[in-house]
Amino acid sequence: MSNILEIRNLKVNFYLPHQTITAVEEVNLDIKKDEIVVLAGESGSGKTITALSITRLIPPNARIISGSIKFNNENLLGLEESRLIDIRGRGIAYIFQEPVSFLNPLYTVAEQIAEAVMLHKNKTKKESILEAKALLEMVKIKDAEKVLFDYPHQLSGGMNQRVFIAMALALQPRLLIADEPTTSLDVTTEAEILNLLLQLKNELGFSLLFITHNLSIARKIADRVCIMHNGKIVEEGAWEDIYHSPKHFHTKELIEAYEKIGKI
Amino acid sequence: MMNKQLMCGILIIGIFALIAILAPIISPYEPSAIDQNSLLMPPSRQHILGTDSLGRDLLSRMFYGSRISLSIGLIAVGISTGIGLALGSCAGFYGGMIDALIMRSVDVLLCFPTFFLILAVVAILEPSIFNIMIIIGLTSWMGPARLIRSEILSLKEREFIQAARAIGASDFRIIFRHLIPNAIAPVLVNAILGIAGAILLESGLSFLGLGVQPPIPSWGSILIESKSTLGIAWWIVFFPGLAIFLVILGFNMIAEGLRKAIR
Repeated sequence: MSNILEIRNLKVNFYLPHQTITAVEEVNLDIKKDEIVVLAGESGSGKTITALSITRLIPPNARIISGSIKFNNENLLGLEESRLIDIRGRGIAYIFQEPVSFLNPLYTVAEQIAEAVMLHKNKTKKESILEAKALLEMVKIKDAEKVLFDYPHQLSGGMNQRVFIAMALALQPRLLIADEPTTSLDVTTEAEILNLLLQLKNELGFSLLFITHNLSIARKIADRVCIMHNGKIVEEGAWEDIYHSPKHFHTKELIEAYEKIGKI
Repeated sequence: MMNKQLMCGILIIGIFALIAILAPIISPYEPSAIDQNSLLMPPSRQHILGTDSLGRDLLSRMFYGSRISLSIGLIAVGISTGIGLALGSCAGFYGGMIDALIMRSVDVLLCFPTFFLILAVVAILEPSIFNIMIIIGLTSWMGPARLIRSEILSLKEREFIQAARAIGASDFRIIFRHLIPNAIAPVLVNAILGIAGAILLESGLSFLGLGVQPPIPSWGSILIESKSTLGIAWWIVFFPGLAIFLVILGFNMIAEGLRKAIR
């Protein structure tokens, strides 16, 4: 199977007033078509920065020093901003940790989703809103008709995350990057969202890069797990291999923590 | 639940706006009709607010003057807020060199006393209603620009801006659809305060003879014409002054009320 995404030798630095910090170093990561890759690691290990680097969404004081990121055999790091805008949303979409703060508080659900549709598909507002409704039904929101005209603050965390997923999938991206999308949700909602993502993946066919610090999610969904530590990918493999014979000490720590929680 | 201050302000400005719109219908006389038989008449049945030294009806002149004063206030502030929005949001959003360039020009312009800057420009250009509007607008955008820049600076770090970027929104779209609508509330309050300031400025300019030129009535120009008869005709100076006072009070009340309502 062909690789949809190839990250080679990525290095990202943060420039602070009096020091330079290397957040990501020597990262190599491949994602195949229809594959689910889980990128796991503790906070501050560089997972999110790796994910944001893919479409150059990193903060202004960070810079990609070296490496290449190929999406469909096109090097994203060499692309002009105007071409990249086209790939964001249409080729590569994101969902984030706190859905409610990632939705603009001033617009209704319908307007937010319609924006994604209108940006890339040249549709009128009316058509986009119809499409937004279909998308809400796709992410299994009951009363889609009513939710369309609600504002983000009127919805629960789980509902907002579904809205955000609908927005991200509006343009049938080839790769969905989920940055801890269930961390702010309770356990039952987390399970629902995970199942929804898996089901949508089967229906629509996209690759998924899932970022988490929770190994139980990795066990549940991953085709392949990458463990990140101090800005490097220290271990990579199928869940079974990593779980039964962890090589790196940090992987062992994560597995110990995971087993402790499992016993409670 | 509306607050009293806001309602009161809206009521005052509403009445003045209605007067300005209906001026030709409700004025008892032509604003520049001279009546030799009734010079400097005190308020009476025929002339509710009295007449001036040319026998013109003060009430009619004030009705027409409200059109000039209010429209100068609105349009001047429209211009200054528009420029402030455009430059302030660019400065806040792009940062770096663009920010430095715009904000340093703001600092430089703020160093000039605005009133004398306007005096200088008016002295070169012809003082007409149109010029006054533009000049007041062009010399008072620095405050709004600073305000908007600071709002944008904090808003652009918010997560939904990153989300908008992630679905492929352009800079232009992010500024106009996501940043400015979220920053508009304090700007609106500032603009309403600005209207009051612009009306006051116009009155001041007219009083110095550099504003609206006779025979067109504006509240400021009525005031200056009253100068020579101040000792014998109190009404010509009192009523335009009262009108300016009320309108500025009204706009300030709306601004203050809005500010509280938004909190």
